[in-house]
Amino acid sequence: MNIQLQKVIPVPLKDKFSSRSSHIWNQQVLFTDGEWIKIKAPSGTGKTTLINIMYKVRYDYEGTVQWNSKDLREIKGDELAMLRQQKVSVIFQDLRLFANLTARENIELKRVMQQPFYEKDAIESMAATLGVTHVLDQRAGTCSYGEQQRIAIIRSLMQPFKWLIMDEPFSHLDKENIKRAATLIAAECKQRNAGFVLTDLDEDDHFEYSNFYNL
Amino acid sequence: MFNTLLRKIIRTGVGRGRFIMAGVGLTVALLLIFSAVQVQVNYSELLYGKSNQDSIANFLVINKEINGNDPENTLSQQEVEKLKQQPFVVTIGQLSASRFKVSAQSPSDNFPFYTDLFFESVPNEFIDVTSKDWTWSPGSRTIPLVIPNQFLDIYNFGFAPSQNLFQLTQEMVMALPIVINIHTNGTTVPFTGRVVGFSDRISSVLVPQNFLDWANKTYGTQSAGKTSRVVIKTNDPGDPKLASYLKKNGLVTNADKTRFSKYRSIVNTVVGASWVTGVVMLLFALLVFSLFIQLTIASTKHEIQLLITLGASPRQLQKFLLKQFLPTNIVIAFLCLLAVAVLQFFIHRFLQNQNMEVSQLISPFTILAAVLIVLVLWIVNVSTIRKYIKQTGE
Repeated sequence: MNIQLQKVIPVPLKDKFSSRSSHIWNQQVLFTDGEWIKIKAPSGTGKTTLINIMYKVRYDYEGTVQWNSKDLREIKGDELAMLRQQKVSVIFQDLRLFANLTARENIELKRVMQQPFYEKDAIESMAATLGVTHVLDQRAGTCSYGEQQRIAIIRSLMQPFKWLIMDEPFSHLDKENIKRAATLIAAECKQRNAGFVLTDLDEDDHFEYSNFYNL
Repeated sequence: MFNTLLRKIIRTGVGRGRFIMAGVGLTVALLLIFSAVQVQVNYSELLYGKSNQDSIANFLVINKEINGNDPENTLSQQEVEKLKQQPFVVTIGQLSASRFKVSAQSPSDNFPFYTDLFFESVPNEFIDVTSKDWTWSPGSRTIPLVIPNQFLDIYNFGFAPSQNLFQLTQEMVMALPIVINIHTNGTTVPFTGRVVGFSDRISSVLVPQNFLDWANKTYGTQSAGKTSRVVIKTNDPGDPKLASYLKKNGLVTNADKTRFSKYRSIVNTVVGASWVTGVVMLLFALLVFSLFIQLTIASTKHEIQLLITLGASPRQLQKFLLKQFLPTNIVIAFLCLLAVAVLQFFIHRFLQNQNMEVSQLISPFTILAAVLIVLVLWIVNVSTIRKYIKQTGE
């Protein structure tokens, strides 16, 4: 499954971006199946906007985004849900956990939303890998940002996917934890032959990226 | 498992009070509607059911209301025709009267009586007496008679005690030959009368129609009489249409037999009122239910939006929400049906003691009504949920 951006530019940022050169905005971009893509973007260049457009939580843009050669605007309702359950997973910058559910319930939700990809014990083992076993039965709202971020990472890995879209997924983690999380994500992507799109402020060498873009 | 988590996320506890109110409203509405249907079915069963047919009640003698102003209160041929056209009239029979003077007296001095008399006749199908003696062949001097039961009652309980006379059984009266004299042009022609039966239906002295036709032709002194009374056969003497038609046209009948029409009107009014109330309450309950669904979805809007963002499908959410709301509706409908069924069983027992027969089981129409209402509830639930999930997802 390819992701294609054709002359995409967010309407509110149109004037600001049209004068700036970018690898993504207002360009033809093709993310091919299985590519590991890093998008470097300084603050205020629309990093989160891009992620939201690519994942269809924002619609206020010109141009078209295609999932598997189909205009994302035309993918709706149950079809969109099916793709989000089977093909495209996401880690939001603002994490988006259900504050009232425990960390475990947040992860479990994504595990059982579709035909489970992993057995239940995968939650335990990933939590152990990322060092969040102790907060699993704590309400997500009471966890620290670093813990919440790791929970969000584990949640995104509970489902089958061909693409993992990540928006500054390590922003609240220290070096050691970033290393563990990146290793886990890389292994999960390899296992599924999946590609990912990762946005971050700076350059890094967390993964063996196959393509770099500047926003 | 997914639903367990959804239940934690989408709290349906908001506005629980409203939900209970809507539930109570629905319960009352369904009880009213189901009982209205059931009462209607019971009532028509009572009216038309074979075991409840009262043959006497189905024949009515109708005449003009006597108001003291008209010298003769007769029905014109047009009035009879018009009556015949009415939907509640199955058949109609005209009573013809004797047009000669006639008297009756006892043959025995032990038991003396004398009375001036009259005869009437009516087609046989309208007479509630079946006797093989109820025939007259031309030339016969014996006339079979049918007299009202009330005559015998009046005699036995009023006249006989006051005159110190014997009380008579029906058999004794039937065994007694009566001397009948027809008076014509100054001569008297004697006949023998024999009572062959007693009628509850027509309060008159009846003779076979062919005898009266012959006698009127032979001895008649007055011009052809007009019809003063008719007998109608009707399927439903309690039909309010019958009562109102009679009233409108200045006709009267044995009031006793149409008394049912009063009850019938009352039952119709009550059933109608309970229909209207039930339907209005059902509409309100539906409205409150859909508002409640709307409220639940609106109050968990952010959660639903996040669920959809994470990949929950609208269909999954709709199914989940329907599971939260519809079972209550179905349970209420079922309990109401059960309540009406239990009620019906007791009504059956109660009416049986009164010699009225209604089914002890609830009618298929009531069950059909329940099924239809559950269908309506399902449609309202599904369409409301679908509409607001779609709105929230966009």
